[in-house]
Amino acid sequence: MDRKEIIDRLKPIIKTYAPAQVKEKLEELTEDADFIQDLYINSANLVDIILDVEEEFNITIDNESMEKMLTVKASIDIIITKLSEK
Amino acid sequence: MTGNDLVDLNQAASDSNWQRKGYLDKIYTLAEQKILIASKDQNETVWLLWSMKEAAYKIYSRQTGIRNYAPCSLQCFDLQPDAHKVNGKVKVADHLFYTESFISANYIHTIAALSMASLTEIKVKIYTYPDTLFDYRSTEPQCVSHHGKYLALVY
Repeated sequence: MDRKEIIDRLKPIIKTYAPAQVKEKLEELTEDADFIQDLYINSANLVDIILDVEEEFNITIDNESMEKMLTVKASIDIIITKLSEK
Repeated sequence: MTGNDLVDLNQAASDSNWQRKGYLDKIYTLAEQKILIASKDQNETVWLLWSMKEAAYKIYSRQTGIRNYAPCSLQCFDLQPDAHKVNGKVKVADHLFYTESFISANYIHTIAALSMASLTEIKVKIYTYPDTLFDYRSTEPQCVSHHGKYLALVY
């Protein structure tokens, strides 16, 4: 799975928890986006994103990996690592 | 140094389903889950612990420059409920923070500090929308928390 495919599968997940003004601009989503600072995801909803990512990619995200999941880029890196370990 | 965090309980109820499978395991340690299970109002306790962690994290991240998403590394303990107030402590690595949470029907607001003494010196201002729409930055608060229809400032 390449990074483009992963980001495309992340978009609907992010869309569920992002406020309206961010939802409209999700087509322009880049890897640099920070969930909390750029996408205005509530920190209590970041857990939901992580749980949705686990379901979508059928992986388990341990606490050590979760710590780094503040940006789209870090999430893609973790998804790739976890998929390769399967 | 001061930290604060406000949870608008109505906003939290519409945004989050903490009963979702796996949710609590990601954010609360086993010790915290025991506190939760033993509590009378579990919904209230979920957000009480969350606001304690957030308030402590705001000081911790400023102190250390660390930015991460590790809710289980912030451990709430020694909760002392008293009327509408709960005093507690939050430990992160070798840092210890003292907290005081005010619980109302509509929100939970926690303040955090490095000692019990400095906790008592904190001044709190809470505004409800639309009164939140003023230039609060100019009042130079030490910490700001905005959630749902509330704005909480500490000085």
